[in-house]
Amino acid sequence: MSTAPSNDTESMEVDPVFLNSKREAWIILGLWVVALLWSVPYCYMNGFQSGLNAETVETTLGIPSWVFWGIAFPWIVADIFTIWFCLFYMKEDDLGVAHEGEDLAEEIAEMHANEDEATAGGNES
Amino acid sequence: MFAADGSDAALVSFLIYTAAVFVLAAMSNRLLKSKSFLSEYFLGSRGLGVWAFALTFAATSSSGGSFTGFPSKIYTHGWILALWIGSYMVVPICTMGFIGKRLNQVARRSGSITVPDVIRDRFHSPLLGLMAVSLIVFFMSFNLVAQFKAGSLILQTLLEGVTLFESTADGLASAVAGIPLLSSAESPEYLLCLLVFGVAVILYTTYGGFHAVVWTDVMQGVVMVLGVIIMLPLAISQAGGLENTTKLMAKMTPPRVSAPDKGGITLTLNKPREEILRIDTGTWITDEPIPGQKVPLLFRVTKSAIIPAGKTTINEVKVLQLTTLEDIQRILGRKESEKFLDDVKVSNIDLKAYAYGESGTQQGAYVSGPGPSPSSSNGFLPFSLAISFFFMWAISGTGQPANMVRLMAFRDTKTLQRSICTVAIYYTMIYFPLVIIFCCARVLLPGMEGESDSIMPKMAVFLTENIGMGWLAGLLVAAPFAAVMSTVDSFLLLISSAWVRDVYQRNINPEASEKTMKLLSYLATFVVGTAAMLVAVNPPQFLQDIIVYVGSGLAASFLAPVVYGLYWRRVNAAGAMGAMIGGFSVHLAMYVTGYFVNGSFFKPYQLFNFDPIIIGLFVSFISGFVVTKLTAPPSDELVQKYFYINKANS
Repeated sequence: MSTAPSNDTESMEVDPVFLNSKREAWIILGLWVVALLWSVPYCYMNGFQSGLNAETVETTLGIPSWVFWGIAFPWIVADIFTIWFCLFYMKEDDLGVAHEGEDLAEEIAEMHANEDEATAGGNES
Repeated sequence: MFAADGSDAALVSFLIYTAAVFVLAAMSNRLLKSKSFLSEYFLGSRGLGVWAFALTFAATSSSGGSFTGFPSKIYTHGWILALWIGSYMVVPICTMGFIGKRLNQVARRSGSITVPDVIRDRFHSPLLGLMAVSLIVFFMSFNLVAQFKAGSLILQTLLEGVTLFESTADGLASAVAGIPLLSSAESPEYLLCLLVFGVAVILYTTYGGFHAVVWTDVMQGVVMVLGVIIMLPLAISQAGGLENTTKLMAKMTPPRVSAPDKGGITLTLNKPREEILRIDTGTWITDEPIPGQKVPLLFRVTKSAIIPAGKTTINEVKVLQLTTLEDIQRILGRKESEKFLDDVKVSNIDLKAYAYGESGTQQGAYVSGPGPSPSSSNGFLPFSLAISFFFMWAISGTGQPANMVRLMAFRDTKTLQRSICTVAIYYTMIYFPLVIIFCCARVLLPGMEGESDSIMPKMAVFLTENIGMGWLAGLLVAAPFAAVMSTVDSFLLLISSAWVRDVYQRNINPEASEKTMKLLSYLATFVVGTAAMLVAVNPPQFLQDIIVYVGSGLAASFLAPVVYGLYWRRVNAAGAMGAMIGGFSVHLAMYVTGYFVNGSFFKPYQLFNFDPIIIGLFVSFISGFVVTKLTAPPSDELVQKYFYINKANS
């Protein structure tokens, strides 16, 4: 019940949905790494300080500056990237029709084939 | 007192809410009649549109913790929570975009309905499918019990002080006095909430199936974001602006607290009372400054205590002491609207300082890293832990089967693309504003550290009462309730689908009739839910720890096999098994080692200071790779089925 006979590679090509999804997955992983490398070291270097003077804590729009530039700002950037990526970069692939019940039907067929083999000897169902 | 109004609003909103949920379930049930039953009941016939898909995904991921545990943490540790939650900036695109499109396609191609289905079909291995279903049932059953308890506790917090609720709970206590299991519950209030919450969730989930869960999730998602949008401007304006809040927080020093076993303060009444004097949790006590100091003493009771009639003294009253002058002055300035115990002297003050946050070099602990901590001298979020949490939310979220099921249910790629954008905006509107709101709560409601789990309802009531709109609190307090409900219903369906589809239909009786499957689906959902609810009457301890263990354990077991299965042609069943067993066992081993090294299963051993989730994922991916390379490649037929198409089709 596969999409093509197993040895007929001539008539087959790599599924573009697989290729597109894989490329997109690598970019998403890259985005996560960039977010990690921006936020955590920035906050660590600017927000983790001892002997802070309460009167001179730096703020941007009322938020401590290290939170603003380490989290809030990259958050907005990540949102803009996400929207661009999803709406303009990600390929609008056709996911195909659902083969409801096919996996089960396949297994039932295999099961019967085995039973028949055991009783009568190799009679395909 | 304003609490009563807010709580009544909570009761009313809870009732309206429950009624709406049942209407949605009834509508969903009508859909079940026309389509392929199992695919509809467990997967909504793969037809979710943008709003349904986006909001069910967002609402399922944000469990009750988002509105109880998270606000409580912000309140207790300050601005550092922005870093703790920081990776949510990429969570939507990671958890939905990383595997979403491909998982949906593979599930369609094989006809899979559940996550174990996908794994079994993709690798053509019933054994692997059975391993997957065993792990899901094992992990999720713990989690379901934990979420039931969390839901009941939230409801209990919301309804506290409502007369009707208290009297019903008392009535229930006497009614179940003779019933062995029910009478041993923690308290009648908890039992009542558990029964009400549990029965509601079980009924609507059983009756309506996946669509009921999705539609109620949509409603719950809307309630959550509305709650935050309304609270944000109220909190900022009442705290005197964000700039003012941050400046005040910079001056704050952590409170001193009494140890749970011994210590506290001694109270002496100026004259004995004729009746028993009950000192409730949350009562303020003040006294003159200690000689030589300017700051007046101000304590807040954290555990209720009783002074018998005719007596004047009580020892070891559990309290926390405010140490920030501005906070103390603010509370003393509104003495009329707060509950104070008057005519009393304080002595024998025996309180503990925070392990991190009080010494001179740690000034400004609430506006800088690693944040104050009552128990850890390294502070709340040291560097290595910050990295672990970046992994935890984005990567481990991708590996959650409850999320994966949703990725199998959207209609087409366009739906996925728009939904990721919707969830990204949705999370931005919820998580960062929550940090701001509960930083403002530090200024508005000081001294809540002892009962910080109920800071959300307390804050909702406080903010709305101040603008004379107490009824609005009802909508706000519905948010945490909505969050936990939308998580529980999804988990419930996940476990029942595992039993019906993966255990019964695929292993015991593949030829069962549609009618039998229908009956079994209803029955399994009902039985699993009822069993979890009964276990939750006397739930195991360490529930929050169980939730953490389960979440990271599932990710360590499932992420690598699924990612390999979707993106790597060479991977075979043995490799997927290697990844699953490797991740599961190394993750478990770190917890077991923690039991021997740190004295508790829930203080896992941290190799190189990293959380078990990172080590578990690492080992899972490596072992999957190595085992695959050492064993024979999968059959061409299988590879072609999932990775190739006919040229004519393209």
